[in-house]
Order: sequence, then structure tokens, then C-alpha cells
Amino acid sequence: MQALSDFLITLPIGDFVATYDWVWPFCETLHFVGMCVLLGTVGVVDLRVLGVAKGIPIKLLDKFIPLGVIAFVVNMLTGFIFIAGNPVGGPMEYLTNLSLQIKMVLVLIAGVNLLLFYFTGIHKSLDAVPADGDATGAAKAVAAVSLFAWIMIIVMGRFIMYNDTLLYALGL
Amino acid sequence: MFEAIENSAYAIWVRESPSIFAYTSILSLHAIGLAIIVGINTLICLRLLGFVKEIPLPPMRKLFPWMYLGFAVNVFSGGSLLMANMTNILGNWLFIVKLVFIALAMINLELTRMWVFDKPGPVDAAGVPKHGRAVAISALVFWGVAMVAGRFTAYPNFVEAWLGF
Repeated sequence: MQALSDFLITLPIGDFVATYDWVWPFCETLHFVGMCVLLGTVGVVDLRVLGVAKGIPIKLLDKFIPLGVIAFVVNMLTGFIFIAGNPVGGPMEYLTNLSLQIKMVLVLIAGVNLLLFYFTGIHKSLDAVPADGDATGAAKAVAAVSLFAWIMIIVMGRFIMYNDTLLYALGL
Repeated sequence: MFEAIENSAYAIWVRESPSIFAYTSILSLHAIGLAIIVGINTLICLRLLGFVKEIPLPPMRKLFPWMYLGFAVNVFSGGSLLMANMTNILGNWLFIVKLVFIALAMINLELTRMWVFDKPGPVDAAGVPKHGRAVAISALVFWGVAMVAGRFTAYPNFVEAWLGF
């Protein structure tokens, strides 16, 4: 962790954030916009797979997923700027933050879940689902994990700045 | 009156309780509600603007109750956060800008429901009812301004310096 922090400090991101006061709030706003787009695309596909808003063909709704991937990349980049460019406690403050660590584990879970979705035939099975039909149980399970993970990613993201609350609840 | 609200038992609990269900969870709920309503509304806007236009519009009407759920979550969570810091927040002009644009976005959402979904008039070549594009663009602008103002509510001094106040 210290090695990673040492590396991040050598990047010019900290200087960039410190020199231009608009960078931090601008990236925060982008991070929120990315969050909305991600939930509005991937989250809505998950809801439809779970049986909400039948009549919308899943394989057409699915075409919004690339937009969700773009939103994810925007949030990876802005998130990276927050960690590498943290003007107060430096990268270490975030890297050792339990809420952020849990959030990253959840992002990993959402990522593995997405690979399962695409590479185990579940995504292909959705092509056969009629506009007002039901997805398979496997597809519903993947959608439920995805929705849960993204909502908890939002929650853990908000907890980063209030990490003490989490530590207190866990008795740490 | 603001002080009485700030000093109410509920406001004090939201602001000061170390419980995991107090301030931080309410703040988390506010982000979830935001993602639900703005996320779904953005999806509908993109469809109205021609993105994946093969998707039939009528079943997208079923997403409206979810947007209302997101809005209800945020009236509750936002109201709680406001009660906890009423004097400060109401004295912040960026917060007032945010509220105005949320009101505009909600009026726009109801117009979208009526004009595009519940009583659609004749559709254009792309299958979009009259005013469909206009309400889609307005929604993106209103939510965009509301979110920028909301985030910058935390940085009023920066904004005033940039604007030269």
C-alpha cells in the first residue's frame, strides 16, 4: 500500500489538483453524472431482467450497456484523480480507508459478475426472451447481484468521507 | 423557526448521532435516489433523442413509478439533511438554484409523462410524439444544472470567486 502511495505521489496529479481549485469539484460532479448514467443503463437492464417494465425488449435495452461502460471509465478516471490527487491526506488516506476498500471489492464483484454475464451464455440466452417475457433464473441472479453491488458501491462511496461511522458500527 | 427545526430531536439525531443509520446513511440514500431518478430519466431522454430508437416507447412508461420512488427517497433524505443544517443550507444561493432546477425537472417529467406517454399526439418520422425531443433536452439541462449546483453547494466561495462576486 505504501509503495502504491509512493508511486501515486510521483504523478503530477496532486500538483494539478492543488494548482487549479476547480479540478476537484468538477471531477466530483462528473463522478456523480457517471454514477447516474451507470445506474440508468446497467441498472435499468438489471431491473428489466428481473421482470420490471415488461414490454421493453431486453436485447434492445442491452444496447445502452456500452454507455454504462463509458460512464464506468469516467468514474475510474475521476476516482483515480481523487486518490492520487488528495490534497489533504495524500493517497494513503484513501488507500487505507475501509469504506473505499469495501467499495473496490464490490467493484471487483460487479466486474466478475459482468464477465459471468457475457461469457457463460447468459447474455446470449436473453436474445430468446420475448419483449414481455421472463429471463432465466441464472440471468435474474446475475442481475440481482449487479443491482446489489452497484447500490452498495454508491453507499460505500458516500461512507468514504465518514469512515469513522463505519468503524464505529463495526466496533473498530 | 429554522433554529427550532435544527434543534429538534430528529435534526440533532441526523446531525450528531454516531449511529450508522444517521447522517451518512441518509446521505447515501440521497445519492441512490439521485441515481434512480436521473439515471432512468436520462435513459428515456436518450431514447427520445434517437438512441436505440427500435425500443418501443409505451412500455417505458412503466419506469415512471421507479422515478417517483427515487424522488420520494430524495424528498425524505434531502428533507432530513436540510433539517439538520437548515440555516446554513438555506443561506446558500447555490442550494436555492438546485431546488429551482429540481422543480423545473419535475414539472418537465410530468409534461413528458403526459405528452409522450399518457396522451401522445401524432408521432414524427422517428416515432417520437410532439414535444418529445424538447422535453428530453430540457430534462438533461435541468438535471445537469441541478447536479452541478448541488455539488457546488459545498463550494460557495469558489463559485463566487470564479464569477467575480
